[in-house]
Amino acid sequence: MIDSPIFFAALTYTPATLGFLGCIKPKTVFPVAILTLLGIAGLSLTALQTGFEISYKLIWTGGIEFTFDKYTFPLLFAASISLLIVLSTYRDKLSHYFYQICLVLLTALTVSFSAQDLISIYIALELTGFCAFILIADRNDNKSLFHSFQYLIGGGLAMLIYLIGVVQGFQFSGSFLISDLSTATTPALCLIVAGLLTKAGIFICGLWVPNIYSHANRQSAAILSGCVTCAGVAPIARLSDGMQPIENSMVVIGVLSAIIAALYAVFERDDGRALGWSSVSQLGFAILSPSYACIYAMQHGICKTLLFTTLSSPIQDDESIESAQSAPTNIPEWLLVTIFVIASLSIMGLPFTAGFITKTWLKGDIPIEASLITSTSTLLTATVYARLIWSRCNTYIKNLEIYKSLDQYKQNLLNPQSIVLIMSGILIIGFSFSYQEAYYYNNIQSSLAAVVLASFLYTSVAGLQTESFVKPVTRTLDLVGAPFVVAALLLANLFYFKI
Amino acid sequence: MKLKSLILKKCKKKLDLIILPAVILLIIGCFGILNSRTLINSLFSLDVIDTATISIFVLIAATSGSQTPILSSAPRYANYSDPYPQAIILTAIVIGFATQALLCTIALRLSRSTPLLKYEDLEK
Repeated sequence: MIDSPIFFAALTYTPATLGFLGCIKPKTVFPVAILTLLGIAGLSLTALQTGFEISYKLIWTGGIEFTFDKYTFPLLFAASISLLIVLSTYRDKLSHYFYQICLVLLTALTVSFSAQDLISIYIALELTGFCAFILIADRNDNKSLFHSFQYLIGGGLAMLIYLIGVVQGFQFSGSFLISDLSTATTPALCLIVAGLLTKAGIFICGLWVPNIYSHANRQSAAILSGCVTCAGVAPIARLSDGMQPIENSMVVIGVLSAIIAALYAVFERDDGRALGWSSVSQLGFAILSPSYACIYAMQHGICKTLLFTTLSSPIQDDESIESAQSAPTNIPEWLLVTIFVIASLSIMGLPFTAGFITKTWLKGDIPIEASLITSTSTLLTATVYARLIWSRCNTYIKNLEIYKSLDQYKQNLLNPQSIVLIMSGILIIGFSFSYQEAYYYNNIQSSLAAVVLASFLYTSVAGLQTESFVKPVTRTLDLVGAPFVVAALLLANLFYFKI
Repeated sequence: MKLKSLILKKCKKKLDLIILPAVILLIIGCFGILNSRTLINSLFSLDVIDTATISIFVLIAATSGSQTPILSSAPRYANYSDPYPQAIILTAIVIGFATQALLCTIALRLSRSTPLLKYEDLEK
């Protein structure tokens, strides 16, 4: 591998440069941008397999420290693959300056995945927030504008809380490095973690996630779920790897998030919103183990991007024309359904998908007492996806005759959009053969049992009229106040409960 | 005098005393953002919290001394303030300004359909 600092600095800032150049010459830069994304994805995959690590300072002595290691590469891979999928499948539907913003977003994400000091992470997260804001507001109607306002004001407040924590830590250690944070006081740690949790979209700071996913465009929602929420995961994993109190509190927060958000997702009937709640639950599950958080977030991010990309079909039973317009064109419908099912099964954790492997790793790393929690969360998640798969396939089978008459059905598979989708489907399945030790009897049995039980559970809750007791959280007060509540919860945990 | 001695007793260190106004400002801002009924109110409150955070940074940097941090052999600059947090907070000021600008843009757009910008109208 290349281990020159200049190469990695260039790798970080090339996407942003291309993004700004793309504002001037959009048509010329687009292929270059796609090639760059492919290059980054390939590089991070190689680095992931070889376990490559590099640490460098941006301007040699006394400079800003960056580390590319096991926390960076999985998430970098997920981010570039998500962007590739979205940019290629929605190529003819991208609005003005969409891909340029995505490239700037990639630089911000890379910085937040690799930065070692808290201030760089702050700047990267704010930049990510701005880009995400523009992506949400891309739909340009009142609802999405208001939700982007909520996101920005909640995110801004969370980052200010984070900044107060940072300066408290600075007071004792005299530096902004993550590794020096061990001398910081408990309130400082609580404030920092509350800010990061809000950006990562983990319950209860992640109340903004379902609203935004259901009110943004499908392509924006795919990018948000695939990369933006990962921006908070890497710093959390870094922090909790070094410090015992944070790691212990993360178990509490992760368990709360995994269970409560999954329950919400089971009772939610709107597809976008259900995927949002499931995302909150999955990321909560991921932060339970600091060493495998990033790789779990990677698998989740790629699958979520595929799910959002393939969620809409040209013909819908109940929804308006709007949903039909958000479906990607030029791709045969049966391929969309197949990819949707594969991605869902991967999140459910069925054998021979990527989710099975990452779930096995994660299960092996967390304390044995928490296995009940993981099983419950897996079961609930599987219930959600059983419903989604069922409704997606049902819509398809009902309208099979119409699809056959459409041109879309007979399209050949050699256009770029279809190839990208097929490749990502192969990627998900192929990843499952990278770790053969996961295929032992108990493990396969438990995951199959979860899937079968989930189908039964789905049939038992399918008829419930849930609109009366599950109301979407849309009040700004709830979204803005959540970081305070989490900071207080963490403080109470670290001082009194000591879980 | 009694109040002053009480505060001094509570805040044993000098630092606690000097950042007290900033902390009060922070609490005012948080109170405002949690109780605002219109978009504009929460926008102002966010700005207040922003200012409070910046003040905390600057005040903590100034604990070692309040003179301008210029390297020189003259004794005048013996106890200068720490330039590191002050340099870093400049970024936060700019980012805060950018956030305000974006929020104002959205408020402007939303005000075409809901002129009063009340949360209860927008959250429906």
